[in-house]
Amino acid sequence: MNARYPVIIIGAGPAGLAAARALFDAGVKNVLLLEREAEAGGVPRHCRHPTFGIQTFYRPMNGDRWAARIRQRIEHHYEIRTNTTVVSLNPGGVLEISSDRGLETLYAERIIIATGVRETPRHARLVSGLRPQGVLTAGALQQFIYLRKLKPGNCPVIVGSELVSFSAIWTLRNAGIRAVALIDENLRPTAFKLSTLYARLMGVEVHLGAHITRINGTERVESIAFRDAAGQERVMACDSLIFTGRFTGEYTLIRTSHLLHEADSGRPIFDQYGCCSDPAYYAVGNMTHPADMGDQCYQEGLRIGRFVAESLRAEASTSFQVPVILHEVFKIAAPNVVRCDTGSQASLTLNVRVNRYHHGEIRVMDRQKILYRKRHRCLPERRILLRGIDISALTADSQLTITI
Amino acid sequence: MAPLNENVDVVVIGGGVVGCALFRRFTLMGARTLLLEKGGDILSGASKANSAILHTGFDAPTGSLELQCMQAGYREYLAVHQQMNLPLLKTGAMVVAWDQAQLEALPGIVQQAHDNGVSDVALISTQELYQREPNLAAGALGGVVIPGEYVIDPWSAPLAYVTQAVMHGGAWQFNCEVREVQAEENGWLLTTSKGRVRTRLVINCAGNHGDLIDGMWRTPEYEIRPRKGQFLVYDKACATQINAIILPVPTPTTKGVLLCRTIFGNVILGPTAEEQQDRNRADVDETVMRELIEKGRRMLPTLTNYPVTATYAGLRPATEKKEYRIYDYPENNWISVGGIRSTGLTAALGIAAHVETLYRNRFTQRFPLHPPAELRWPQMPMLSDYQPRDYTCPGNGGIVCHCELVTRRELEAAFDSAVPPECIGGLRRRTRVMMGRCNGFFCSNHVADIIGDRLDNTLVVGKVK
Repeated sequence: MNARYPVIIIGAGPAGLAAARALFDAGVKNVLLLEREAEAGGVPRHCRHPTFGIQTFYRPMNGDRWAARIRQRIEHHYEIRTNTTVVSLNPGGVLEISSDRGLETLYAERIIIATGVRETPRHARLVSGLRPQGVLTAGALQQFIYLRKLKPGNCPVIVGSELVSFSAIWTLRNAGIRAVALIDENLRPTAFKLSTLYARLMGVEVHLGAHITRINGTERVESIAFRDAAGQERVMACDSLIFTGRFTGEYTLIRTSHLLHEADSGRPIFDQYGCCSDPAYYAVGNMTHPADMGDQCYQEGLRIGRFVAESLRAEASTSFQVPVILHEVFKIAAPNVVRCDTGSQASLTLNVRVNRYHHGEIRVMDRQKILYRKRHRCLPERRILLRGIDISALTADSQLTITI
Repeated sequence: MAPLNENVDVVVIGGGVVGCALFRRFTLMGARTLLLEKGGDILSGASKANSAILHTGFDAPTGSLELQCMQAGYREYLAVHQQMNLPLLKTGAMVVAWDQAQLEALPGIVQQAHDNGVSDVALISTQELYQREPNLAAGALGGVVIPGEYVIDPWSAPLAYVTQAVMHGGAWQFNCEVREVQAEENGWLLTTSKGRVRTRLVINCAGNHGDLIDGMWRTPEYEIRPRKGQFLVYDKACATQINAIILPVPTPTTKGVLLCRTIFGNVILGPTAEEQQDRNRADVDETVMRELIEKGRRMLPTLTNYPVTATYAGLRPATEKKEYRIYDYPENNWISVGGIRSTGLTAALGIAAHVETLYRNRFTQRFPLHPPAELRWPQMPMLSDYQPRDYTCPGNGGIVCHCELVTRRELEAAFDSAVPPECIGGLRRRTRVMMGRCNGFFCSNHVADIIGDRLDNTLVVGKVK
């Protein structure tokens, strides 16, 4: 096997497949995709709701159909090695991978990291109680039901009120299971206000502003105790508990690598071209901004794939980087540094997340100079795009601040 | 009730670490043995949750049975671990003083260590302390180093003891609860949830239920008062932040909260020490865990940069006294091994040696001893993050659990092993599957598929129609 490639892509989900497609269209030969699951396509494979495809194929599609379509655009052109896990990233584009063959080392001029996201599970949320079977995430639920036709429970309670929480109700319904209740800490649903109406129409109790105080059950979940919005202690019988959302990037490889990253989250430092601190490495997709829609990741993957193809052709020009600094209302910005060089685009889009609800002006400043100002209505866990930021006048001394 | 169809020399009640070590010891002495465990695998009770440290005994009460057993256990583990392919991580430990009163207590700690024969324990300067642990919070005043403290695998070690016993003819039953004991002329008739068994000698290692088992035929000489300890497991990336086991200066009531790397590459923070009545229920509590994090942060400020991978709580079988409660009743063919609190993992092999001595001194003639001519040694699966693992070897079937890098071959091997697990918890402890940061987001469906109908209580409740 040839262990040297011009480009290796880690993760064959929407962003990784899109980057591959862009490289193919740019004429790059012999790109390798590495996928740890048995099949390429990523999370949409087990999302059977029609929220995919509008931007890519101009019509709504279920996730599995959409994943199959974007996979087909690659699999005849490039090798996708499935059941293959990257275990370490090393300087200059050297990867260590594990598969049934054992450990191997691969080399590439460019490596695109598209490892996606996962949900924050029970333990990381420090939930009180015992540790019985039947506590899972929405992602695990989808895989049990759609990929295995297995039921993880008969009367589950869903924790969270993000879009994925309501998708979990849908997933359960497709398996003939009715959720007992949906419960969330926030007083207003994170998804959108009408979403709770959908839950109620599906026969699911909704408890907002509620805090889980105990998980009961030794072998399997038997009930949960929670304090409702009025401060009442309540107990609800259930046989499973599905923690949904609070997506976090899959940064495991980055945290243990030489790549610069944010100390508190593990998110890589990367610029608007996706380029990391080691110019052999690029980051793309939901890993850099959890959790956008599949189509959005696909579009971004195409864009980053084109940049990577260009970077293979052109010598890196002299450039400087400008850091992006956040006011406390903001949680993340993608990218988190901006690269400026001759020939670079003068207009920048920043993808940001807030820590809490904010309705009002957002400004992007280069020290005292306002580069962007616009009113936004921001909810946590939602994508907010600050488009058309003029970066043509940035200098090596600049620093971009996102503020309200 | 179907008979267990056993007629043995020794029944060991309880498959915790102490029960496993005694089962091994008496089997290797030549007894026909049977291990009875109420849970679906060994280590279902107190032994499943501890801090996984192999202690030198530097701070144990001088002259105590506990110290004697710890030091004998420590020596025997070091002597046998390579033959069983059990890992060992030499981290050393460091007691850190954060205020003047604690600083003044340090010379006493060194003195006690030396009295206990741990002669390499020494005071270090603040400068050396920060050289060794550069990420520690500012403000430490001094420290004591204990170079001989190690981190081990708390689950594969006892499993190795059991496996070696089984290789030499020991029998075992899981999901088997002892319900009644009846004295007979030459031993005992035990009634269990799986039938009856006749034995010449009973060794009670029932941990948090030890006094209840003794109470089936006599007034027990100790009373279990469970003490709960909550722990947090941090993501593996955090392991770069400390080198040694970081211990606080102990108080009269508790050894306090420690920070420690695990053999699996994580960092643990804990335990708490909470008295409670319930012998089974080990809740974690959000408020307590947040307090624990705050304590950890005061020792290691970067700790809060890392996500929590797992939370757990264990119940230590404490009694109304501090010491080990080991009693032998030669007239009654019974030995009771109780009150083995947090030092049980270290002391287990030493406790087994101590009980052998008790037997040889006072119980001879109960059953003939024909030790095996040649000892065989089990090769345990290597789960240490600091040693080559199965995922690095060809033919592993691919990685199933990505957080813990568990292969399909490792999962299959657990079921094909000499002593297969009979519950999910056992499978997790033996392979580390679903123990990682995603709590099963990616792998639980694969694991459910591999388990199939091999276990009764599994991850799923049925099929989608």
